[in-house]
This record gives sequence, C-alpha cells and structure tokens, in this order.
Amino acid sequence: MDQLRLPRRSFLRRIALAAVGIAGSSAIIDPKRLLALAAGGGPDDPEIPNEAVAKIYRERFAGRPITRGHVQLDMPAVAEDGRIVPVIIESDLPMTAEKYVKGIHLIVDHNPDAHLAGFYLSPAIGQVSITTRIKMKRTTWVRAIAETNTGELWADYAKVLVTLNGCG
Amino acid sequence: MSNVGDARLRIPDRIAKGDIITVNSIVSHPMDTGFFRTKEGAPIPAYFINDVVVTYGGEQIAHFEWTSGISRDPVMSFSLKADREGPLVMTWKDNKGGVYSQTVNIAFAAA
Repeated sequence: MDQLRLPRRSFLRRIALAAVGIAGSSAIIDPKRLLALAAGGGPDDPEIPNEAVAKIYRERFAGRPITRGHVQLDMPAVAEDGRIVPVIIESDLPMTAEKYVKGIHLIVDHNPDAHLAGFYLSPAIGQVSITTRIKMKRTTWVRAIAETNTGELWADYAKVLVTLNGCG
Repeated sequence: MSNVGDARLRIPDRIAKGDIITVNSIVSHPMDTGFFRTKEGAPIPAYFINDVVVTYGGEQIAHFEWTSGISRDPVMSFSLKADREGPLVMTWKDNKGGVYSQTVNIAFAAA
C-alpha cells in the first residue's frame, strides 16, 4: 500500500508544482502585456517610430539614418509621477572646433508635443552632459538624438513606465 | 522661489583654467501646458518658457528650445569648458513675453 501511495503523492505534488509554475509565469507575463495594452505603447521596437516621431525625423533630420550609440540616455525604468521625470543625457562624441555635437533632440513618443526639447550646443561646453526634468503622459519610449556638425545622427532610447499622467 | 522668473545659477567655488565645470540652473516658472483646468473648471492657458540662451564672455555657447513638457520650475544642468574669465549669462524667455536672466562670473582661483 505504501508503495502505491508514495507515487500518487509525488504525482499530486508534481501537478501542484506545475500549477504554481503556470500561475507564476502567467503572473510575470500578463501584467506587462496588460500594461502595454492599457498604455497603447505601440510596437515595442524603438527603431520603428510612430507617426509623430516619423514626422519629427522627416522635418528635423530629412530622414537621414539614425544609429544607436555614442549617446547615453539615463532615465528611471518606472516614473511614479509623470510630472517630474529626471533625464540625464551624456555622450562620448568629441566637442572640438572640427567635430562637435551641434544639437540634442529629446523626443517622448506619446507626449502631446513629442519633440520635447532641443539643446543646441557648441564646442565651448567641452562635453555633452545635460540633466533636466520632464513631464510624461504615459508609458512610452524616450529618445535622445545627437546631431553632429558633420550631419551624423546618434541616439539612445529608454522605455519609461509612467504610473501618474503628468500632462493632463 | 516663489515669483515667476526668480532664477539661480550655480558653478563650483573654485575653478581652474581649462576645467570642464557643471553649471546648475533653476528658474521659477509654472510651465503650464494648457491642458489642465482649475478646480472650478476654467482652463489654465499655456504659459511656459520656450527659449533659453547661454552666453559666456558675450559669446553664445548654447541655445535650448523648450516646450511645456519641461517640468514646473525648470532645472537644467550642462557642462562648460572654463577656458577664460568672464560672465556666464543665462536668459529664459516665455511664450507671454517674459524675459528672465541670471549672471555668474567665471573667475579662476589663484593657484
């Protein structure tokens, strides 16, 4: 009898563990999916810009290619208060008279005014290191795009989860 | 920081020629987006700084284009290569014609 019971117990335990496993994995996947759906975050690939961002790219950069690199955009992964979200933008691109970053564009995909700010620089600043605080309406990609005086475009993207709408 | 346009510029206490310093700035401004309403339901019109200019020794070294997406009482820091002595002036302009300015003097500490 004991020999029969034990396998049955271990079988039950396995079912229980499997159930926990399924519940656990769905608990990890579902909230993200739900949040993405609720936020309408669109395609999760920042290389595919939405219409507003594509328009900014056309108007500001004439559709020139943008490469990820040389720019570092530091933002919190979760912004509890969308009214005050800290931003740090840094770059290792040179700031010399011959070659320098002439502008940094800060774009927030799903804000009412997606082109949030432009920082136009000159070699006199020595290095690219900018910090500020911005408002965010909802969960979306944030983009920092650096344009050099020679016309190169370098970028970094950060996905920020916004829990409190900061744009009204 | 209660009156609109009150501003501060902060630079390090001691600067040596050639240092890359960090300039910290803050200006008091509501930065209203135009999307909010008062408790009584009246719309709050857009009122924000949209243009910032930084000059160093009389030469423009940076120019910032802002929208109402910058947070209330905007803070901003940026770097500066301190290669000469002279005034550093930051001027903020808003969409209602307000102009606010702050100056600090870049001077090198005696070695």
